[in-house]
Amino acid sequence: MKKEDTVKLISAEGFEFVVDKEAAMVSQTIHNMLTSPGSFAERQHGEVTFPEISTTILEKICQYFYWHLQFASGKETEFPIEPELTLELMMAANYLHT
Amino acid sequence: MKSESELVGFCIEAACESRESVDKWRMQSRSLDRLPSHLADSLLRRLIARRLLYPSLLEVFKHSAEEVDVRGDNSVDAEWMAYLGAYRHLRYLNLSDCHRVSTSALWPITGMSSLQELDLSRCFKVNDAGINHILSIPNLERLRISETSVTAKGVKLLASLKNLSLLDLGGLPVDDVALTSLQVLKRLHYIDLWGSKISNKGASVLNTFPKLTYLNLAWTSVTKLPKLSFLEYLNMSNCTIDSILEDDKAPLAKLILSGAMFMNEAEALLYANTNFLSFLDVANSSFHRFFFLSKMKVIEHLNLSSCMMGDDSVEMVACAGGNLKSLNLSGTRVSSAGLGILAGHVPHLEILSLSQTPVDDTAISFISMMPSLKDVDLSNTNIKGFLHQGRTDVNSLLSLMALQNLKLERLNLEHTQVRDEALYPLSSFQELRYLSLKSASLADISLYYLSSIPKLTNLSICDAVLTNYGLDMFKAPETLKLLDLKGCWLLTEDTILSFCRNHPQVEVRHELGTLFPVNQNGLNHSSPSRSTSKTMQMTKKKDQIPLSPYFVDQRLKYSRDELLALQFTSLPLASSSESGNSIFEKQLG
Repeated sequence: MKKEDTVKLISAEGFEFVVDKEAAMVSQTIHNMLTSPGSFAERQHGEVTFPEISTTILEKICQYFYWHLQFASGKETEFPIEPELTLELMMAANYLHT
Repeated sequence: MKSESELVGFCIEAACESRESVDKWRMQSRSLDRLPSHLADSLLRRLIARRLLYPSLLEVFKHSAEEVDVRGDNSVDAEWMAYLGAYRHLRYLNLSDCHRVSTSALWPITGMSSLQELDLSRCFKVNDAGINHILSIPNLERLRISETSVTAKGVKLLASLKNLSLLDLGGLPVDDVALTSLQVLKRLHYIDLWGSKISNKGASVLNTFPKLTYLNLAWTSVTKLPKLSFLEYLNMSNCTIDSILEDDKAPLAKLILSGAMFMNEAEALLYANTNFLSFLDVANSSFHRFFFLSKMKVIEHLNLSSCMMGDDSVEMVACAGGNLKSLNLSGTRVSSAGLGILAGHVPHLEILSLSQTPVDDTAISFISMMPSLKDVDLSNTNIKGFLHQGRTDVNSLLSLMALQNLKLERLNLEHTQVRDEALYPLSSFQELRYLSLKSASLADISLYYLSSIPKLTNLSICDAVLTNYGLDMFKAPETLKLLDLKGCWLLTEDTILSFCRNHPQVEVRHELGTLFPVNQNGLNHSSPSRSTSKTMQMTKKKDQIPLSPYFVDQRLKYSRDELLALQFTSLPLASSSESGNSIFEKQLG
């Protein structure tokens, strides 16, 4: 995996998730950060920090990115969500427009 | 309403899966307090729809929710209201048809400064004393109290709610004095007074509301209206009308005068401003002449049902036909000759009802000249499906053939004289989705013709002499969802059951029982679009109906045993194309 094709997502606790750019772009918010013209620091370093999103939730979000790509290509499985995570995940998804 | 992203939708769905899943998150008060209001509102809506909401659960949303809509929920009572009263940001509260909400239950919402809209329609236990609780809501803008026990005395009190812009007082005994006392509400632009005791005296003060755009006076004794310069909507159905809309100012868009009597018909509507009128309903009214129609240049929806209208007046409709989208001529004396006048003048007409008119098969060729038609109702007419021109070449005489060039989606031929052979042209109607037939002269061969309509979803073929053999042989179009066979008395239960087994996606209606699709999701699951998540929600909900103690569906009550038996027997028979779906469904559950 080339570095240009990936992006690093950092949780509130400092955990780093390296994911495909294509997957991360499922989030409209991240998409805008990485593609909008101008000097977003995120665009230059390929890193995005989310001080509001905990590691557990960010991991789930990353899983969703890949699930969504699979879903778009026609595979059908349910995306499982533990009820305990619903509230925090809902807010994160709302923020990320995903 | 803001549209949710896909993952948000999944989260809401997972959160409202069951009571257990609710218990997993309801104690996360820190998260709940941070919840953006539109997410809280969506979550609440879903909980209400799933019937998982109960009073103490309401408390967790008190810092986040802005909209609560519990209409029609009979469990809502004073305890619920006590929790709702603590909602700090509540903007919209809909309690309509919550029959346990009484005057005393309203006490907790007194003084709620955030509340702007309150709907108490048909809460019949709310009376004048309840109005006193409402008066302390300082920013209330929209209030609906139709069909409550509030009297004229209570209505008078509303004068102190200075911010009111919408007031629905339908079905209340509001009198002239009460209406006069509301004159101080200068922001009112919407007043609903149907069925009230308002007379002409009260109506004469309506022009003191400077912004009035919506007025409903149906079923009152008002016969005259003052000048109302901004009126856009007027409903005076079932009134006796002397003089209304005599000035040409009001920019009316929608006018409903169904069932109205006109004391001075010649001048009625003659001076009204019709430059913006797009909707006119004069069904069952006493109109004889229709000159006023000719000047309605932008009219889109016209209902002339059961008017004293004949072919001589059709020209007036044709004059106004340029923008017409729907036209109801049912129960009039318009005949085929009248349609001949209309054809060619209604390029945008999509919906046409000719039910209970003397039209016959010659009308069909005129109908085929209306290029945008999608929905045609020819029920209870003299349509036979054959043109009698003295020749014997059968194929060229099938009158329905003329409709093949239209993109018809709905066709109603109930109670006509159309027989089997005449239905043959329908088999090539490419866009037809809804077809209604009801006649004792239809037999098995009709089913054969109908089986090749490619997009048919709802087929009703009632009172026909269909045999068991005919139904067995029927190759239902794959798109079919509903098959109504009521009154087909020759069919036996066994045949209907076996049809259901072979066509699990079809809901069948018959006197021997209504049978719902066995495989609820049918073919809908294959499209990987956003709407799929909705389908999955629906599916899950339906699957849980027999388990949930909070949901009693009357339809299921009667045929549940049959349904279970059916479900059981059909599993081994599921065809290979369906099996993928059923596995998927199990994973869902």
